[in-house]
Amino acid sequence: MSIRIILVSTLLILLLGSPVALSWFLGSQIQTKPIVPPGREEVVFWHFWGGQDRDVVEDVVQRFNESQSSYWVRPIAMPGNNLQAKLFLSVAGGDPPDLVNQDDPILADWAERGVIQPMDEIGGAEIEKIGDWMFESARRLSTYDNQFFGVCNGLDIRAMYYNKTALQQYGLSPPETIEDLDRIANTVSPANEAHERYAYLPDSRRFWAWGFVFGGDFFDPQTYRANVDSQPLVECLRWMQSFGRIYGPDNLAAFRQGDQSLPGKTFPLLPIEADSVVGRYCLIMDGQWRVRDIFNFQNKRREAGIACPEYDVCPLPSPSNGRKNAGWVNGNFFVVPSGARNSTGAWEFIKFWIGFNQESQAAKTCAAGGWIPVSQSVVDDPLFQEYLDKNAMFAKFVELAGSPNQFPIPQVPGAAFFKRTIEAAGYEAMSNPDKSAVEILKSANERIQKHLDRAREDLKLNEERP
Amino acid sequence: MIKHRKNRWWICGLLWVASAIFSLPLVVMISGSLKSSEELARNPYGLVPESWSWNNYLDSLQSMPFTIYLTNTILLCVGCVVGTTLSCALVAYGLSRVPWRGRGLAFGLVVATMLLPWHITMIPRFVLISEIGLYNSLWAIILPTFLGEAFFIFLLRQFFMTIPEQLLEAGRIDGLSHWGLFWNIVIPLSKPALATVGLFQFVQTWNDFGGPLLYLNDPQKFPLAYGLERFVSSYSDQTHLLLAAAVLFTLPVIILFFLAQKTFIQGISTTGIKG
Amino acid sequence: MFTGLLFCSPWMIGFLLLFVWPFVASLYWSLCRFDLINRPRWVGLDNYLRLVSEIGTDQGFGLALSNTVYYAALSVPLSVVIGVLLATLLSAKVRGQSVYRTLVFLPSVIPVVAASILWLWLLDPNDGLINYGLSWIGMDSQNWLNQSRSAFSGESVGVLSGWISGEPLRLFGSKDALVLMTVWGVGNFVVIYLAAISDIPNALYEAAEMDGASSIRKFWHITIPMLSPVIFFNLVMGLIRSVQTFTSVYVLSEGTGQPGGSLMMLSLQLFLSAFNDFEMGYASAMSWILFVVLLIATIVLFRTSRYWVHYRVAA
Repeated sequence: MSIRIILVSTLLILLLGSPVALSWFLGSQIQTKPIVPPGREEVVFWHFWGGQDRDVVEDVVQRFNESQSSYWVRPIAMPGNNLQAKLFLSVAGGDPPDLVNQDDPILADWAERGVIQPMDEIGGAEIEKIGDWMFESARRLSTYDNQFFGVCNGLDIRAMYYNKTALQQYGLSPPETIEDLDRIANTVSPANEAHERYAYLPDSRRFWAWGFVFGGDFFDPQTYRANVDSQPLVECLRWMQSFGRIYGPDNLAAFRQGDQSLPGKTFPLLPIEADSVVGRYCLIMDGQWRVRDIFNFQNKRREAGIACPEYDVCPLPSPSNGRKNAGWVNGNFFVVPSGARNSTGAWEFIKFWIGFNQESQAAKTCAAGGWIPVSQSVVDDPLFQEYLDKNAMFAKFVELAGSPNQFPIPQVPGAAFFKRTIEAAGYEAMSNPDKSAVEILKSANERIQKHLDRAREDLKLNEERP
Repeated sequence: MIKHRKNRWWICGLLWVASAIFSLPLVVMISGSLKSSEELARNPYGLVPESWSWNNYLDSLQSMPFTIYLTNTILLCVGCVVGTTLSCALVAYGLSRVPWRGRGLAFGLVVATMLLPWHITMIPRFVLISEIGLYNSLWAIILPTFLGEAFFIFLLRQFFMTIPEQLLEAGRIDGLSHWGLFWNIVIPLSKPALATVGLFQFVQTWNDFGGPLLYLNDPQKFPLAYGLERFVSSYSDQTHLLLAAAVLFTLPVIILFFLAQKTFIQGISTTGIKG
Repeated sequence: MFTGLLFCSPWMIGFLLLFVWPFVASLYWSLCRFDLINRPRWVGLDNYLRLVSEIGTDQGFGLALSNTVYYAALSVPLSVVIGVLLATLLSAKVRGQSVYRTLVFLPSVIPVVAASILWLWLLDPNDGLINYGLSWIGMDSQNWLNQSRSAFSGESVGVLSGWISGEPLRLFGSKDALVLMTVWGVGNFVVIYLAAISDIPNALYEAAEMDGASSIRKFWHITIPMLSPVIFFNLVMGLIRSVQTFTSVYVLSEGTGQPGGSLMMLSLQLFLSAFNDFEMGYASAMSWILFVVLLIATIVLFRTSRYWVHYRVAA
């Protein structure tokens, strides 16, 4: 008996040891903790970028580290969901990073609960200057209750991508109104048929974007009331439901899955088969980051000498009583957690990244990453202008960034719940196209209001304490 | 128990079908991990890859700091296995071989904690761990195992109870204290049970996801299970790499299982714990 | 007395620090609003009232509860039935018995994170292996992890009637997928049943054979009754385990409980309420309700313990 045990434990040790040995052997990529150069203070910086974007981030960090000799930024990639939970745990656990880049609607909650520091305490009067220097939409994303708690460093704008070649084949032009879009949908993918591809299908999570386009406002800050069941939003949701009625919600659900899971094919506007010029959709609402995918795709095709469809972008089509050049804007923003050890270093890095008084640095970053700058002065930088000249599609996004009709999710405590509930309402409506839109929105509105009230009441309670 | 000879053919057939169904996912996982992304899209479930893309493994090793994750996992496993076997053996001895007032009650409490959901203690434990400054340290996961684990205490106690009293009596006559009895008689006799405990703790720690999710925030400290989950969201479109990473992560457990199959099976059938 | 305490001291400390104090703290916090950063604020039974008011609705605790109940109600009995059947089969003395046993057991040692990655791929509605298998036996492809509606829900009636009128039958949703994944890992239950089966005295079967009983009769009248204590033990253990399911739903839904909140299990809801919504009080109250429900199950287990303890000792 005991011989077997000895045998097993020896094997165990071997088993434990061999992967280690193997991976040390393989480990040309071993990333040991980088050593902070003497005389510099470390700035621990969390972000969630992966893939190509991560290289851009690391390049910015490197340029910053080389540009001065007081601080040393250590970037840590934290991909995946629930970064906010992770940050919250780190603040509560007492070991937060010095700087975090985020894109979830958490500014208000974190500010009220003291998870993050107000920017004016870190940057002093400079923050007001940065506020004036920024786009309106970037300022909206950086402030809560008229105070800066974050600094926006990149805008995400959504617009309608379309396959020019495919539309031309059908004799169609890009949509300007919702009616145009419906007509295109009907021509390319008529109702009551199974389709390999669809002209356009709304994504339930894009209820935010379409809601703003239809002229809706989800929240009224004056009265502090959620406004989710207002007429424009009801109409918007009904329009989104119409796709489910026409094609069948389950067919859509099945079709949708392919959008995420086809190996190696992430943007469903692009055709998969080499002999095809149309992807899974002819039109798709998406953000500026897809410009890069299209560019790469077209290059590949041209190199291989295969017929290559043309693509372009237009603003989201709107109904007659809706908003033009509208949409939902979100973006990345920096926050400095409470308890950060090196907030001054973080502040210097923030300014470097957004290009405040050093526009060409930000122009370089934005051109490398295909990101939308947060200030017109960065856009005007010759380096960035050169980039825009070469990327006409991208330029349209930059133009939309300046539109007054680009709205973020309301910056109120409970915004994450707000966002979730709106998206869930969109999902519910689209998977039950016969359910009353009014009913869905009324119940969502009630839940959201309850949550907002509770959040506010909670925070009041917090204020009362000494 | 089915013994009729004439029934054999359909039993064999059923067994064959059942084990094929159960093992097929694993087979396609391994074969999928060896296909190029192009082949995987075209022919996901062909059992034999047309061209063997061993590169997938190198690629997936290089797309995440695999070495670091693995080192952390091994540190955690070693720490937790040492902690659990040590503490649980001590406690089990105290609960089985040392007569004292309140022993019955203590054992009852051990059994009670065995069945408690982890949810209820999750938040306070987090607060405790961060108060003593262990947040974002591997010790946050290792240290609690030094304080005993109900299931394993239970298992070891049951085992210690089967050790003949005469042996301990003989030790006592030789002038051994409880400490001496524990080290010189009970521990040497209990190696199979201790191995079971160590094995289960190893697998448990290897698989642990909730602990790192709560307590670790520096990728330099992530173990494989958690690192792999992070990997899922950023590589969701590269199934071949995900599968290769999953195979790499699974392989040690499977090898371990084959090496210590009996211990596994005995452990599960005597306690009903999942490995 | 002193020696005993000394030997037990690691557990004593652990018990005080990791159980007693957390229990008291979480009970207190469940009566407070608490965000872990600012001081807790007493609100009495507010959190519990909120939880109760959510029962029966499709939000918060209500949603998580119904999801968990659905999952447990399907996966636990299914695991038992399939487990017993497999164990009976695997107890047959045929060539290659140990190979079959290993193959059935192997899935249960796969780490949950790896298994979830695997199943994400197998359950793909378009080209997943499972749908491929279903099409093989002439079934329509299912949406699995992309559909919030479950097979055994009221809405399925509509789907069935649609099927009669020629639409594809898309019954199974994300929770059914989770059940499937759980049943795949039934191997460790099988091992327990196998151990119990080998303890059944052969004389019983031999006597039955003399009476000319068929295999099925022997299964019903000997195997099942003799296994019943173990089955019961596994029922309760399975229930506890299914209520605590966390890792698989976290990985499958990337920590969101999507689609449509259908994978929002109690444990995930608890985690998100606490660390995403900063509602420690609400989360603590939820864990206490969970605890009470499981406590009742545990008491039932202990009340009947004499039945199964007898066999465990014999084993």
